Amino acid sequence: MVLVIIPAYNEEDSIEKVIGAVQSYGNQTDILVVNDGSTDLTSPKAKAFRATVLDLPFNLGIGGAMQAGYKYAYEKGYDIAIQVDADGQHDPKEIPKLLQALTEMRVDMVIGSRFLGDSEFKSSMIRRVGISMFSKVISTIARQKITDPTSGFRAANRKAIQVFASDYPQDYPEPEVVVLLHQCGLKMGEVPVGMSKRYSGESSITKIRSVYYVVKVLLAIFVDCFKKPPFLKREG
Amino acid sequence: MLIKIQIIVGLLSIVLLLSTFELIRKKRLREEYAILWLFTGIAVLVLSLWPGFFLSQFFVRITGIFYLSAVVLIAFSFLLLIVLHFSVVISKLTNQNKELAQRHALLELKINELKKRYLPPEETITSSGL
Repeated sequence: MVLVIIPAYNEEDSIEKVIGAVQSYGNQTDILVVNDGSTDLTSPKAKAFRATVLDLPFNLGIGGAMQAGYKYAYEKGYDIAIQVDADGQHDPKEIPKLLQALTEMRVDMVIGSRFLGDSEFKSSMIRRVGISMFSKVISTIARQKITDPTSGFRAANRKAIQVFASDYPQDYPEPEVVVLLHQCGLKMGEVPVGMSKRYSGESSITKIRSVYYVVKVLLAIFVDCFKKPPFLKREG
Repeated sequence: MLIKIQIIVGLLSIVLLLSTFELIRKKRLREEYAILWLFTGIAVLVLSLWPGFFLSQFFVRITGIFYLSAVVLIAFSFLLLIVLHFSVVISKLTNQNKELAQRHALLELKINELKKRYLPPEETITSSGL
């Protein structure tokens, strides 16, 4: 069983397109929209599109919303969870690629990378420098090449779902998740994916905040290295 | 000169102690914080009543700073501890708050699914109409 998790905060303009795209790609997947305390019509619009909607009572931020989604996946017994952004920058057509890689590479999580292969990705200077810095630091810690640790287009198997349900970083979780999985002894892989421009809205990371973002995440990763990894009980 | 400082510091500590008592009485302050604040108030009060108290003399001897500075130093270190303690408490509360919100959302979803499955259709229509 595969679950597509779409965290959404005030995405009424793009949520229908994203759900529609995911539905048209796959008939085997369930869709869970995690409504992170939106004040607009995100939740009713998603419900009208026959997606399951998990309404958080107030805004928790991307980390809290993603974790709620993984908790749902864990409790409902899903084998694989895929996270897709609600702003439309992830192309659901690439989901089969992620699923295939998850089984073929025998890893616990697959990241859709914008920088592998021939996929073209245009972005601001600051952001590319920041991402390549994360990539170096995280690759060193995880002892494997991770080209795009900030990508939120991912597929996780049951083991990784269990980790995320019990422990998930909060503010800007994507890079930290890689470190967390490495500490739990889980394996990761990357596949090249193309990403389109978002349908609507701005990146949650604006120019001025970019520097703050980089410093904060690097600090968080540094602290993560000294944290105890979460204790996981074995599933029967 | 010393007596002026003594009076000011003494009054401050009495105000602090009285407000702490009042907050405990109205149950607006939990005991674990109240104890910290009471200790702070009492420590400062003692220093204002007996400037020659061994603590301040001891401090003056080992650090060479004067009476007022010693009082400020002690009050400051208490405050530092309290603020650090609060950061720990806030972190814990934030995490518990997050867990509660997630559980709340998951349970709500489950209830709605159960309602849909087991309530007769007309009843779900009226309940959603409300």
